[in-house]
Amino acid sequence: MNTLVRRNWLLNGIAQLGECGLFFLDILVALPKSLRHFREICRQVWFVGAMSLTIVMTCGMFVGMVLALQLYYTLSIFGGTAALGTVVALSLFRELGPVVTALLFAGRAGTAVTAEIGLMRATDQIDAMEMMAVDPIAYVVAPRYLAGVIAMPLLMCLFNALGILGGHLVGVTWLGVDNGTFWGNMTSTVDLWKDIIDGVWKSLAFGAVVTLIAVFQGYNAPPTSEGVAYSTTRTVVFSAIVILAVDFVMTAFLT
Amino acid sequence: MNSRPSYAIGTGLFILLGFAALAYLATQTTSVANVHQGHSYFVKARFSNIGQLKERAPVKIAGVRVGSVQSIQLERGKMDALVTLAIDDKYNDIPDDSGAAIFTSGLLGDQYVGLQPGGSPENLKNGDEIVLTQSAMQLEDLIGKFLVNGGPKSSSAPPSSTPPKPAASGG
Amino acid sequence: MSAVTASIDSIAEPLVQVRDLHTRLGGKVIFDGLSLDVPRGSVTAIMGPSGTGKTTLLRHITGQLRAGFDDVSGSVRVAGEDIARLSRAALFALREKIGFLFQNSALLTDFNVFENVAFPLRQHTELPEVLIRDIVLTKLQAVGLRGAANLSPSELSGGMARRVALARAIVFDPMLILYDEPFVGLDPIALNQVLRLIGTLNKTLGITSILVAHELAAVRRVADRVYLIANGKLVAQGAPDELAREDSPWTRQFFGGEADGPVPFHYPAPDYATELGFAR
Repeated sequence: MNTLVRRNWLLNGIAQLGECGLFFLDILVALPKSLRHFREICRQVWFVGAMSLTIVMTCGMFVGMVLALQLYYTLSIFGGTAALGTVVALSLFRELGPVVTALLFAGRAGTAVTAEIGLMRATDQIDAMEMMAVDPIAYVVAPRYLAGVIAMPLLMCLFNALGILGGHLVGVTWLGVDNGTFWGNMTSTVDLWKDIIDGVWKSLAFGAVVTLIAVFQGYNAPPTSEGVAYSTTRTVVFSAIVILAVDFVMTAFLT
Repeated sequence: MNSRPSYAIGTGLFILLGFAALAYLATQTTSVANVHQGHSYFVKARFSNIGQLKERAPVKIAGVRVGSVQSIQLERGKMDALVTLAIDDKYNDIPDDSGAAIFTSGLLGDQYVGLQPGGSPENLKNGDEIVLTQSAMQLEDLIGKFLVNGGPKSSSAPPSSTPPKPAASGG
Repeated sequence: MSAVTASIDSIAEPLVQVRDLHTRLGGKVIFDGLSLDVPRGSVTAIMGPSGTGKTTLLRHITGQLRAGFDDVSGSVRVAGEDIARLSRAALFALREKIGFLFQNSALLTDFNVFENVAFPLRQHTELPEVLIRDIVLTKLQAVGLRGAANLSPSELSGGMARRVALARAIVFDPMLILYDEPFVGLDPIALNQVLRLIGTLNKTLGITSILVAHELAAVRRVADRVYLIANGKLVAQGAPDELAREDSPWTRQFFGGEADGPVPFHYPAPDYATELGFAR
């Protein structure tokens, strides 16, 4: 009995993964068509981007501040507070920026996209489009997908910028690390390609998987209010797991 | 219909903001700005050991940054490191008999190239080579010297107090 | 060639032909050998107890459910074309000629009334803005909501939303409109307005209409023909008034409003006395 249940669970998981993959192919096929809906893509970039802007910027600031505070105490043990700027910048660019932005994005924009598409499904809007001979994948799903992939790296850059400023505020203004040392050590160590651009790649990958999960869960949400609520939760849970897993794999490959 | 321009502007602003942040990160937190800041001329120096010196490490005179390490190559045949230094054009009055040494900022910090100005009336020009060089101090060597000599007095001579000795292949 | 045969057949041939349709959804038998015809220019009502797959039948006609793709066999022909054989592009082309009125209107919440009606035009044509405006306003005038063009769907009452959806459904002057429970949840005034629109569209534009509904009184006023479906089969058919007079268990229960009959009052259950523990 127990093994049967477990096998079903496993099979369901694999089937879900397969459906998700096929759905991704559908989106790819529909992408050229969806470029016709350029205005819709712009609108979605605005929605997912602006939606997450406040939370991403606020959290970026605080993450930078906490990093500076924590690292200052650790580094001061070794007398290495001069490296504060470097360590804050490297931890933000290489790891925290992409990952935390992706998690925030999943919680804010991902859930909103899932709920929106799920409600469109529940209120027959998706069916209505099919009936009006409009491909809902090209009109509803693909623009949101593209928007997510575009918005994520941009949000990550904002997160990093605010994080650096937050770290500077705490490190230099409050804890008294020398301003020149802070920036000087940072600029001499941080590499545009190896650190910042690698972060952008990561961020693009996170944008691709998080938005895929969000649109997939929304599109396949059971057309009821519980169904939409359930799918929204699943978006956050799956996104969090996948973000960290992909992060591990990409870190292993990129470094 | 009225909403169209507003979100178009919003989207544009959002994208600009994102790219502005990227530009800010790229220029303010990396050395890209320093590398491309103004023109520079190139000077070579050979070292028998460069330790942990990396490309883009700063080049300093009296602690002031005047340029950066452009490239590091192993010179075939002579088996020593050929380091090309990019020095900002505005520092065009460095005497051509100046010495170069590799220092470490702090005990465990990054390494940089320090230039020790000489007294020649001629100045370094593009393509010149700095003959007087001193290799990086290896921590292991220091400890070894300390143990052999049994005292700190001769463990690490600051390069300023002794004339920089030429690298093995310097002549 | 097919165009020629279609035009010759079109006089006699019914617009929608369903033949020997068998459908299973999620293991449950929905249709078990259903056959029916919808003549051109008629208003045909599909009636039956809840859960007999009336909406599923509409999904067959629009090709959302098709033989070969799902657990379906039998044929559905619309305007002489076998739905199951159409490519996706051909199916989409056919759908442009079919209007569909959803039970909950399915207006796009992102757009206002005007843009909702204009949506199919913007998606399928490159008409100049002036022309789109004229067409949309004409259709809105036809449903009496020209004044509501700038409202958003959330500001509309149920009846108004349904009329906007109807305006959207007729924006391409379709040959066929499918109404999925158009009267549900409407007050008597809104119900009469929708009823009048169905009649007008059918009489003045000659649009064939298929109506899924429960409201007997309303159906009687507008439908030419009624099909009564139960247990996956056609159990009765005819003009509404004849059908109401017909004396079969199904028609008696359905039109006579009896609580018990072929559709039992009690959900299938083990013997009552046994379950309570009285029986020996």
